[in-house]
Amino acid sequence: MVFTSVNFLLFFPLVAVLFYLTPVKYRWLTLLLVSYYFYINIRPVYALLLGGITVSTYVFTRLMDNTPDDRVKKRYMVLNIVLILLPLFFFKYFGPVNEGITGLLDKLHLRWPLPEIKLLLPVGISFYTFMAIGYTIDVYNEEIEAEKHFGIVALFISFFPLVLSGPIERAQNMFPQLNKPVDKVNFAGIVKGMKLMLWGYFMKLVVADRIALYVDVVFNDVSIQSGTTLLLSSILYPFQVYADLGGYSLIAIGTARILGIEVMPNFKRPFFAVSMAELWRRWHISLITWITDYIYKPLSFTFRKQGIWGIVLALLLAFFISGIWHGAALTFVAWGLLQGIFLSVEALLSGKRKLFEERNRLNRRWWYILCTCILTFVLFSLTQVFARASSLGNAVMVLKKIFTDHGGLYLDMTNLLYGLAGLGMLMLSDFRDEFFPERYLAFESNSKAVRYTSYIIIFYLIIFLGVSGDNTQFIYFKF
Amino acid sequence: MERELLKEKLTVIFRSVFSNGDLQISDSLTANDVANWDSLSHMILIGEVEKSLGITFKLKELNKMKNVGDMMDIILSKL
Repeated sequence: MVFTSVNFLLFFPLVAVLFYLTPVKYRWLTLLLVSYYFYINIRPVYALLLGGITVSTYVFTRLMDNTPDDRVKKRYMVLNIVLILLPLFFFKYFGPVNEGITGLLDKLHLRWPLPEIKLLLPVGISFYTFMAIGYTIDVYNEEIEAEKHFGIVALFISFFPLVLSGPIERAQNMFPQLNKPVDKVNFAGIVKGMKLMLWGYFMKLVVADRIALYVDVVFNDVSIQSGTTLLLSSILYPFQVYADLGGYSLIAIGTARILGIEVMPNFKRPFFAVSMAELWRRWHISLITWITDYIYKPLSFTFRKQGIWGIVLALLLAFFISGIWHGAALTFVAWGLLQGIFLSVEALLSGKRKLFEERNRLNRRWWYILCTCILTFVLFSLTQVFARASSLGNAVMVLKKIFTDHGGLYLDMTNLLYGLAGLGMLMLSDFRDEFFPERYLAFESNSKAVRYTSYIIIFYLIIFLGVSGDNTQFIYFKF
Repeated sequence: MERELLKEKLTVIFRSVFSNGDLQISDSLTANDVANWDSLSHMILIGEVEKSLGITFKLKELNKMKNVGDMMDIILSKL
């Protein structure tokens, strides 16, 4: 059951009513049962994994809390992390590693074939595993006490709005809210949640899915496409990912908000960033803060004696790991390394850049902001070509053709027109929020007429221009 | 080492790491108050403090440093 399915649209209102009808004391139980029902609906057997990760995390965090010896505590932490990472490694990397070894044995004529095992990656496994790891490390670092209520830990890891693709929440933010759910129906919160959901559906179904219909055709066989077409697709793809995961996140955040739970934002107008470092503070925020706290920070701490070069090494390794997490393929390794390189160069030059900007008073000049936004977008789009292409060879071919092949443009007028119209509205909304946050409001306008008109317009745009929700997938489900 | 003496030593390090000769530090100073104090420069600062004062932090201690005051408490417990 995904957010864009008709089933979810029928399921969620019932859940909300059930939640508010349940006595406050047992609301955690309602949410837990509903979350497992939601996950079981996708593939029942994988709920066992979710349960296993929960039990392991609960047991080891409790053990950590009851142990004064730091070395023993550390052992429990490492043991839990290894145990809960095993399924992720198995499902994510079994296939590619197996193919690699099989290929090698074939070349050496050493293969003795046995029946093949086909494994489907349990949807959301990365996200709930990361949440469980974050909680385990936080308990070790004494940032939070281990939760004694097993049901709350189980709900934190399985909470249905977040379980499939995040945002990757923190125990510090969620436990107090799950332990003490709202006792009264908060209409303002419910309305806010519905607005977030509406805009999320617009981003996903109108912008992301319309653009996807164009981009997918182009990237399915890049060899037959002209450089002009590939350039347009490479520009559109980052917008598609933003609208896809950003839209998903808003639906998730809105769903949680209706149930009285505030979840961290995942995007903050990423294409108005003036540097790659800033873009990463605005893009997939819950993942990048997770990587910063639990991967980059320990790495840079280890290499701190090397000064700025230690930082560069930590950045490269952190993004390399992030790339490998996105997929066991060379394209993702290249994606991660490029991100790491761009960020490292920026870190090395940041002092000089700041001085240059201050000396020439560039920070408030609109044309300078525009140029730096465009440059940041170009660098980011370049990395995204590697994330989207089916192989390293194809990614290189795309980049090569962009500069050498200026043939005709493949046009899919309907999808391009609808997608670009939606994208224009999304960018205008982001522009307003970035530069005029209190003006030209629509959903948040003081005028009832403006508010309701904008809800109706967006609703009808979703109905008439959106791609049917049952036929769509979210990009980040495969991670 | 006395707190005031430590503060003087830290001021020199902070000014050098953040290239700001006028920077004044106080117990309540946080990364939000200093330009360029981000996750990248933070680790350079930690490395410089360790080198200058001849101490070694634990990663766990880093997570507890919410401001300069916390940092000074941790350093003083090591000297």
